[in-house]
Amino acid sequence: MIAADVPTPPLPPSPAPASAPVISAALTDTTVQVSSDFRGARIVLYGAVFDAAARPSDVVVLVRGPEQPVRIARKQQVMGLWLNSRPVVFHGAPGFYRAASNRPLGDIATFSTLRRLRAGVDHLAINAPAEQRIETRYGVRDVVVSRLGPDYYDWRRAVVRLKEQSGLYHEDGRGVRFVDQGLFRAEIALPTGAPTGVYQADILLFQDGKPVSRRTRTLTVEKVGVERALYVWAHKRPWSYGLAAMAFALVAGWAASAAFRRD
Amino acid sequence: MDIYLPIAEVSVNAPLIVALGALVGFISGMFGIGGGFLMTPMLVFFGIPAPVAVASMANHVAASSMSSVIAYSRRRAVDLRMGAVLAAGGIIGAFVGVELFRWLRLLGQADLVVSVSYLLFLSIIGGLMLMESLGTILRRRRGETQPPRRDRRPVWLYGLPFKMRFPRSRLYISVIPPLALGAFVGVLSAIMGVGGGFILVPAMIYVLRMPAGTVVGTSLLQIIVTTALTGVLQAGRNQTVDIVLATLLLVGGIVGAQYGARASSRFRAEELRAILALIVLLVGLRMGLGLFFAPDEPFVLMAGANG
Repeated sequence: MIAADVPTPPLPPSPAPASAPVISAALTDTTVQVSSDFRGARIVLYGAVFDAAARPSDVVVLVRGPEQPVRIARKQQVMGLWLNSRPVVFHGAPGFYRAASNRPLGDIATFSTLRRLRAGVDHLAINAPAEQRIETRYGVRDVVVSRLGPDYYDWRRAVVRLKEQSGLYHEDGRGVRFVDQGLFRAEIALPTGAPTGVYQADILLFQDGKPVSRRTRTLTVEKVGVERALYVWAHKRPWSYGLAAMAFALVAGWAASAAFRRD
Repeated sequence: MDIYLPIAEVSVNAPLIVALGALVGFISGMFGIGGGFLMTPMLVFFGIPAPVAVASMANHVAASSMSSVIAYSRRRAVDLRMGAVLAAGGIIGAFVGVELFRWLRLLGQADLVVSVSYLLFLSIIGGLMLMESLGTILRRRRGETQPPRRDRRPVWLYGLPFKMRFPRSRLYISVIPPLALGAFVGVLSAIMGVGGGFILVPAMIYVLRMPAGTVVGTSLLQIIVTTALTGVLQAGRNQTVDIVLATLLLVGGIVGAQYGARASSRFRAEELRAILALIVLLVGLRMGLGLFFAPDEPFVLMAGANG
């Protein structure tokens, strides 16, 4: 990723490999536990830029959650009623995405660089195979598309907008703060609806609009305790879970009538 | 005090949900209904995903109906045979309804069908009930006598085959109408997340012409069987039953229902019916209104991307 075409700065004569700029970063927590009192979490990422030449540096932090296909429908007016269109499936969308940087991404690098790195909500790889195809599941036809024609970008923007509304996608041009010479920190806010799984945090150092150093850190979001037990039970053995849940409800109803018996 | 719901995967305010359970429980105890038609839309309003709200309601309705049916059976107000026929229909309906709901969800039309069902059934039932109860109240105010209830049963009830005796209800009718009614309500319970009492009770009175004394107890029996099956099927097929959510609602609902039942003795039957009719009508209109106005956000994300 260290680009060979970094223009050599005029003053220091040919930077030796030892003095090549390096970025280093760590997360305060590497696992987030989702328990019954989970109300989202804030993870602090801190790191440092080591650059002997002290060239102007930009730091970009990209956090991606596990991939979740997105099904989205558009409301259309049919005979005076607002109805959902047939759902469209987008593949490759992360379940959580956050881009933080010390200044807006557009000021740091060019469009093509950002697109290549998938940095920023506008550059997320939310798409599908190049052609339109129709998948049939349980006898229902879903359109899986990457090109919906001219309104493709409306759909794409809608995915990002709706994900942003639920706090799952976020781009913050002021999310990385330099606290001291070369030392920076960023906060990653996980909403309650953040999916469980392994998250990847890429910390990129930009100089002159080019990524020159990268560090990758992983973050695991997992359900623990009762929440995990119930979730696993409900998904691994759904029938026994359903029977037990219903038996519990019926016994509770019976117990209540016995407790409140007035005669 | 927030609590994270493991299946719904959202965090809710626990006292708020318990209070909601108590409020709906109060209304349900007061009017002798399950209250699902009120609870499901409110849960969705509080941010619970609709499929989870619909499925978890089945557990809640089953529990609250269980607590009431025992009281009715002590008073011998349950026609077991009629209940069994209705429940048999309900079982068929629940199987069909759960599969139908799954298919509609995949099609992306679950929202539409839920809205239309609420609009249609709640406004019709609410409207009819309001007219009937207001008529009764007005006649009583003017001091007129109530018109005698027409006891002639529709001919088709007798024309159909497979007749059966229902001694407790003093009926000798074909099993087809109660079976069909049970199946219809079973489908609704899976789609709307309701017990279906608001349709079952009027239909039993006005179509099957059952004596009023046994109607509510018998309908509760059918509701328990149907919702118990729906709840298990929803959990097994769709993994959408949230036991934590159902338990929170239960705690409030049970207590609320007891106070509601006590409060109901202070009102006249037709006044209760008029209030209930208004609530039913408002919920139905509120749920259906969205169909007619341009949405602020033209796109909707759908659950169940993984099938």
